[in-house]
Amino acid sequence: MVTYDSSGSVAPEAPPSGFLARTLFSTGHKVIGLRYLWLALGSVLLGMLLSLLMRIHLVWPGAQIPFLSGFGSTPERYTALTMFHGSLMVFLVLTAAPQAGFGNYFLPLQIGTREMAFPALNLFSFWLTVASLAGMTTAFFVHPGSGLTLWTASVALFCLAALLTALNFAVTTLDLRAKGMTLPRMPLTVWAWFINAILSVLIFSILLAACVFLLSDRLLGSQFFSSLTFLSRQPPSLAQSTLLSLWQRLFWFFAQAEVYVAMLPCFGIVSHLLSTFSRKPVWAERAAVFALCGVGLFGFCVWGQHMFSSGLNPWSPLVFSLLASSLGLPACVLLFSWFGTLWHAKIQLNTAMLFALGFVSLFLAGGVSGLFLARNDLATAPISDEFVTGHFHLVMGVAATFAILGALFFWFPKMFARRLNETLGKFHFWLTFAGVYCVFMPMHWLGLMAHSRMPGVDLPAAVPPGASLRTFVTVATILTVAAQALFLLNFIWSLWRGEKTEDHNPWRATTLEWSVPSPPPIANFSASEPMVYRGAYEFSASGAATDFVPQNVAPAPVERASQMKQATEASTKEK
Amino acid sequence: MPGSTIVEDIELIIEDIGGGGGKNSPPGGDDGDEGGKRGWPRVPSSRRYATAIVIAIVSIVMFFMAMASAFIYTRANSNRWVPLHLPWFIWVNTAILLLSSITMELARRRLALADVRKFRQLWFAATALGILFLVGQLIAWRQFVLAGFYVSTNQASSFFYIFTALHGLHLLGGICALLYVSFRKFEKAKVSRSVAAEVASYYWHFMDGLWFFLLALLYLGK
Repeated sequence: MVTYDSSGSVAPEAPPSGFLARTLFSTGHKVIGLRYLWLALGSVLLGMLLSLLMRIHLVWPGAQIPFLSGFGSTPERYTALTMFHGSLMVFLVLTAAPQAGFGNYFLPLQIGTREMAFPALNLFSFWLTVASLAGMTTAFFVHPGSGLTLWTASVALFCLAALLTALNFAVTTLDLRAKGMTLPRMPLTVWAWFINAILSVLIFSILLAACVFLLSDRLLGSQFFSSLTFLSRQPPSLAQSTLLSLWQRLFWFFAQAEVYVAMLPCFGIVSHLLSTFSRKPVWAERAAVFALCGVGLFGFCVWGQHMFSSGLNPWSPLVFSLLASSLGLPACVLLFSWFGTLWHAKIQLNTAMLFALGFVSLFLAGGVSGLFLARNDLATAPISDEFVTGHFHLVMGVAATFAILGALFFWFPKMFARRLNETLGKFHFWLTFAGVYCVFMPMHWLGLMAHSRMPGVDLPAAVPPGASLRTFVTVATILTVAAQALFLLNFIWSLWRGEKTEDHNPWRATTLEWSVPSPPPIANFSASEPMVYRGAYEFSASGAATDFVPQNVAPAPVERASQMKQATEASTKEK
Repeated sequence: MPGSTIVEDIELIIEDIGGGGGKNSPPGGDDGDEGGKRGWPRVPSSRRYATAIVIAIVSIVMFFMAMASAFIYTRANSNRWVPLHLPWFIWVNTAILLLSSITMELARRRLALADVRKFRQLWFAATALGILFLVGQLIAWRQFVLAGFYVSTNQASSFFYIFTALHGLHLLGGICALLYVSFRKFEKAKVSRSVAAEVASYYWHFMDGLWFFLLALLYLGK
């Protein structure tokens, strides 16, 4: 429950007293943000276990694992396993954690407001997300026919939740910024959340429409994806690929852009971390903002890239290929901005920074193979799934996870007033960093070996080529997943026993969330609204007493006088 | 403030991009006083509703565009397409919805003149016409069923039902908003009556336009 004062900011009342109101139905943005993070943590652990199961079934098909053997033993169950793993990771982890999790917690704090624009709507979308997770999980265990219907309905729910969240983010950023928080002064994290919200508003509607079609086909017997529709016109060889071409079009329109939905907030977070721990402003900050916009724009246009093999107009692959390749442009601008920030910097190599650097490395390594995949003649090249799997896991899955972990190490002191353990964190980082390269780099190689995992082919029959390499990947997966125990241990231990931080601003960062106590009070800012006087990355500014100047620090009188003078001069010139 | 919000938004953004950015410029020359009477323009609390409805409309446009493109794609590629004969009642409904939009604008004009009583009557009439439209759509469905077309009959009929059903569902949301404006006691509410009416009218007119688009698609694409 909120009230609105005349100045337009939302002032939450005293915390509601009822147990349910405080727990399940709290509309506080920090509570909801944390919940999303918990949800993502649960999902990522489950998703990792599923991937482990997949790898084991792939390499040792006859392996008997207590309780779990049934889950991947037949081709149908294996497909279900892949689908569940993908849904969890893409929707509940990569989409939910960086945007809805950290975004909900820190967007209002960073722009200097007390709440999201529509707190109740925020709560509603959170519970929709929970319902969709429950639905997806149930779908995995029930009969495949009803399971698929349930899965589609759950995805539709998730789309609705994502749309409402995006709406909330966009309105909050547009209308609730604190005094002086002009667009150029917004931290890059806020920019990324905002651009991502706009992109989400556009693409989740498409997936929602596709899901509605599919549900209507399955439940009402309508004929949108009717198998007979397109068949008779096509030669039988094309039938397989044309069969679902409408669904594919709608799905990939969403799914290719979804990659950027997962990545955009991570770009923002990484730029933010690199600048803070290099003690330098973001290099070419405005270009980086435009690059973020460019990623959003191009990401919205490259859906046809996935359709090369399914019969498009002969010219369109060329267009899509060009568009997909041109995504390299904003990506390069971002990379230059990151390297420019790091150049000649006094880098503080703590765990958060390590994860941010790890992100840059993974993004670069994974992105290079993306240039091959953007080619329109790829459909004829002898490259199999595993090249693609290796590519997107590096560039999207693991890179984004690194950004999420970096953000967690960075913001943990703000959220819980304790620090995560640095030693354990570094161990965890290096093990994971080496591990993911060992898992996904050989996958590229396997893909180039033109291994075919055609549907219908028995899994054991597909094992021989590159079997040792595949075993290596599986062993590396097991070790990498095991290394995550270090993180869990660190996380849980630090939550209760971690080193306490009395300091509001342990990292000596500039943005507004560090100007309030940790954890932030319910109303975020005390009686008065914060004022913003400067850009988000004023590190090592000349003439300043410290090597950082927070955004809410008013300019010194002399400085201000000269600015006032400049302003009056400018206004007289205009007249 | 009514009527100018989107333009204002864009202007603010342009102003932001062009104007701000100065590294240390104090916000609009404001010297830090609490009031903020001058300098940085304060956002009126109700602007968020107008912004939200604009973004929601963009999202709904994408939703129906996906559906429309599926319609066009299927129409162009299918060789089992059976032309559609729209039930005649649908034209009556279209006229009703148009009338509802016009009534709503008349109502808002009354509100601008602070004639709340007349506003309420007209607004209620607009709401009633909206409900009438939905009832009319059900009648049109009934006609369609009697003509032997069900959801699963052919592709065209599937599209007809899903377009009308989803438009109806969105319109039902609009009717709830209209009823809210009718019955809410605005003395205690966090939005003023004129803002609520404005935001609801954006959505309502959009639903009107969307219906014309869908109808044109079904009629021309049959």
